[in-house]
Amino acid sequence: MSPRWLGERVPRLEDTKLLTGRALFTDDVDLPGMLHAAFLRSDEAHGVLRGVDVAAARARPGVVAVWTAADLGDYWKPGPLLVPPPPIAGIVFNAATQVPLAREKVRHVGEPLALVVAESRYLAEDALDDIVVDIEPLPAVMDLEAALAPGAAVVHDELGGNLAARARQTKGDWAAARARAHAVIARRFRYDRGAAAAIENRGVVAAWDARSEELTVWDTTQAPIPIRNGLAGMLGLGQSQVRVVAPFIGGGFGPKIMMFYPEEVLIPWAAMRLGRPVKWIEDRRENFYATTQERLQIHDAELAVAKDGTILGVRDRFLSDTGAYDPYGLTIPINSQCTLLGPYAVPNYDSEFTVVFTNRPIVTPVRGAGRQHGVFVMERLLDLAARELGMDRVEIRRRNFLPPDAFPHDHQILFQDFRPLVYDSGRYAEAMDQAVAAIDYERFVRVEQPKLRAAGRRVGLGIVSYIEGTGIGPYEGARVTIEPSGTVRVATGVGTQGQGHFTTFAQLVSDVLGMDPSKVQVITGDTREFGWGTGTFASRGAVVAGNAVHEAAIRVRKKVLALAGAVLDAKEDALVLECGSVHVKGAPERAIRLGDLAVKANPLRGGVTPGTEPGLEATAYFGPDRGNAANGVHALIVEVDAETCEVRILRYVVVHDCGTVINPTVVEGQVQGGVAMGIGNAFYEQLVWGENGQLMNASFMDYLLPTALDVPAVEMRHTVTPSPLNPLGAKGVGEAGAIPAAAAFAQAVEDALQGGIEVLEMPLSPNRLFELMQDGAA
Amino acid sequence: MTVQQGLAVSLTVNGSKVERTAEPRLLLSDFLRHELGLGGTHVGCEHGVCGACTVLLDGEAVRSCLLFAVQADGHAVETVEGLAANGDLHPLQAAFHETHALQCGFCTPGFLMTLVPFLREHPSPSETAIREALSGNLCRCTGYKNIVDAVALAARRLASDAPAAARA
Amino acid sequence: MIVEGDYTFAGTREAVWEALLDPEVIAHTMPGTQEMVRVAPDRYEGRMRVGVGAITAAEFQLAVQLVDVVPPERYTMEIDGRGRFGFTRGTATVNLSPDGAGTVMRFRADMQVGGKIAAVGQRLLDSVSKMMTKQGLEALAAEVKRRLAG
Repeated sequence: MSPRWLGERVPRLEDTKLLTGRALFTDDVDLPGMLHAAFLRSDEAHGVLRGVDVAAARARPGVVAVWTAADLGDYWKPGPLLVPPPPIAGIVFNAATQVPLAREKVRHVGEPLALVVAESRYLAEDALDDIVVDIEPLPAVMDLEAALAPGAAVVHDELGGNLAARARQTKGDWAAARARAHAVIARRFRYDRGAAAAIENRGVVAAWDARSEELTVWDTTQAPIPIRNGLAGMLGLGQSQVRVVAPFIGGGFGPKIMMFYPEEVLIPWAAMRLGRPVKWIEDRRENFYATTQERLQIHDAELAVAKDGTILGVRDRFLSDTGAYDPYGLTIPINSQCTLLGPYAVPNYDSEFTVVFTNRPIVTPVRGAGRQHGVFVMERLLDLAARELGMDRVEIRRRNFLPPDAFPHDHQILFQDFRPLVYDSGRYAEAMDQAVAAIDYERFVRVEQPKLRAAGRRVGLGIVSYIEGTGIGPYEGARVTIEPSGTVRVATGVGTQGQGHFTTFAQLVSDVLGMDPSKVQVITGDTREFGWGTGTFASRGAVVAGNAVHEAAIRVRKKVLALAGAVLDAKEDALVLECGSVHVKGAPERAIRLGDLAVKANPLRGGVTPGTEPGLEATAYFGPDRGNAANGVHALIVEVDAETCEVRILRYVVVHDCGTVINPTVVEGQVQGGVAMGIGNAFYEQLVWGENGQLMNASFMDYLLPTALDVPAVEMRHTVTPSPLNPLGAKGVGEAGAIPAAAAFAQAVEDALQGGIEVLEMPLSPNRLFELMQDGAA
Repeated sequence: MTVQQGLAVSLTVNGSKVERTAEPRLLLSDFLRHELGLGGTHVGCEHGVCGACTVLLDGEAVRSCLLFAVQADGHAVETVEGLAANGDLHPLQAAFHETHALQCGFCTPGFLMTLVPFLREHPSPSETAIREALSGNLCRCTGYKNIVDAVALAARRLASDAPAAARA
Repeated sequence: MIVEGDYTFAGTREAVWEALLDPEVIAHTMPGTQEMVRVAPDRYEGRMRVGVGAITAAEFQLAVQLVDVVPPERYTMEIDGRGRFGFTRGTATVNLSPDGAGTVMRFRADMQVGGKIAAVGQRLLDSVSKMMTKQGLEALAAEVKRRLAG
């Protein structure tokens, strides 16, 4: 059973459908009698909802139904709290989850006020214009510090203030560390909000079959099983009466998680009420304020260092924007809090965050999920410390890396999965060495940069380390079945949004069952195929679902060998699984095809040994004890145009360690794509709000995604430190590219400008860089 | 706005004659997707920036979300569904597959339809030219590198196939 | 969004004042105004249509409440406009002072814009409002001139 496919660059099996336009996306679902929905949304960020008059909309020809909050009756309920607060001593958490349609108050621009269902989307949108809304505007809560001040407008009146949560985690004794420090670096850092901006907007199609009493929902979700379970509860149906299908999904990046968005909750309800299928497809402008977003945090952080650069401790106090509601709990700020520690030995740590309600759209994880902020703060502090101590920036990092024998390393605080933050494995200095060699650090700093600077060019280098907590529980499952045709079917509960699961899971099965991956058919994201699991998030698909797939395949192999041994009259250890059949070692003519064996495993007549399970099929689950710690180094060289303040990336090197690599092509694709998003976060993407809470750049004309002209080819290196926490040794990679890019970018820009400015905020547009350069010159 | 009268539209789609009626305000993208069932043309922004809905109109790449169906009257439209002739992938499609130039695949049809006329007009493009050609299409998954590689690979293949095709 | 400036009319303060508050004149001179009715001595209601970038004809139901009216010196307008493309609201103050034979009008409007028009038209709002202000003032000046001539 030597791995043949594990680690191979198998071209993706799902590509053909996608390339020829035959893949089913949610908006491709077309059902007889289908109606179309549109939502009326609030133009106000904060206000008292005095009335929503839908009489004219109801009277419009082609309109089938119009509902406001008042029409929903008992079905109007705030959404579920998706992630409860972790058991941190002294934690404060005020839950306020989103509502299906606003009632009494509106709390962010884009909050839905009414649902129109009509014979076509065009007619539904016409009817939106017929609705008259009366909102008495209130001051919008936008600034995180002002929101907490006495007298501020309050987003949730019943809470009496805008505090969503507060939690402090500590280890060691920060005060003592600070007292004996050679230097203390203290700064304020700001990381602003952006959009996930998957190219496919969200969508939901629901159909109720009154005869079979079954509800089918096609949903652009990363987590179909929790959505099924939740919808069944809300609609008073059994879980087996609800089928949620996450077909091909055009990018997830976080916001398509099990959100129970208003649309997700209302479209199935509407389909049941009307007895006709209903489709809702989000448009891009809606996506800018009705889909969740991330990233505004303000950190006041201090780093205490010894004279030789050794980290003595870190203190951090930060504000985190949760928007108008906080259904996703504290995942983001806890990720920030934990990820800040990075690959370093930090003996003393005192971190407290305060989460604030504002009149902006809801915050939930977006690729990185708070980890960016932690990396940005720590790496910037180290850069500033190195400058103050007159040390090399690589040297100060090397001095503080946890050594390879430090594992498992317990940071003595809790991670987002409520488990202790314990790193499983890593070779951090080695990753740094590789990056230093790849970017040719010494030569650049000593030879190239001085030469280019002498020629008037502003070139700079950035090099940073990071940890990405990945592969968290609780669990995933998979079922592997050999069909009579000889095809192997793999069903798993996770949804897939382009990560290549159809291929990587097939590779895992192929090795175990001795067949070509093209003979393995993977089904994801259909609750009728597999009904247990949580979803695709936190870089956990390959780790958690991957190990479940692998284990299920191993169990099927055992069944194959047991039955084949009986059929071929041979000992199990004398059997060989190869090319879709089993034969006796040294006697290739004594063989049976797996498909034929599957038929024999399901006898129609005769007896079986009591306890025999039919079929060549097995189901397995995997739940890790805790998450993994993937790690890496990003290094880049930039050139700043002093006239336009454009920053051009000349080289970008990533060294990453995600443990065992199932398919290097897929992993490199994830990293390259993640870096593109990281570059966007660092330099192009920022949601801009007016003081009255209006989003002022809700289109791709004004909100700039990186294009092919902005993203360089990333030069990639791997180190492989398998995780001891799962049989495959995998760690996960989905978010790695996006996490450290801003920190590396900031260091490189500073370096290019020879210390003339300090970059303490992200993103850094050309405009903002110009301002900083003006300030620096003043 | 009131319900509008349908107008007769007659066009060629992927080589087949199509005759329908369409409201004047019906977008070409919606017409292709929902009237003709050609779901491969994707809609990502409805304002002409992302490029996912790109199709060919008389051989030129256009944004189908910026055109009305009635504007295609009398013209020839080609969509991604028409690209793989006789079930064989077009060299661009094959190159995308081999270089892992797609992840979620939602933007992919728009990239392909942008690139067909580009490669016709620029049979051996430089990397810079390729990147410029791609810059009107947004991809959120791949970071573009593999798409650039795919275009270069397809260009090489098309160039080496061209003499054979000419002989045939 | 702040729109402010001054403009000199060739006419007396009283003539300018009268023109400024005449709903007929407002309807003719304010760009995009479809209809303007004085529903009470200090209140106007009407409809107005503006184009901002991709939004070519955003129609607003407009209500203007006059406060702090001191003829012929100054008044303040509380403006509330709403429509399918969003809303606009705020206050505008107008001060008139004699300047030789003419009248100088100083105005300052502090307006908020929300909804679609703010979300997708932001880059153009400033220039559109400046352009509309300029057109309106020029039309108003022509109207004042016409009245004086008549």
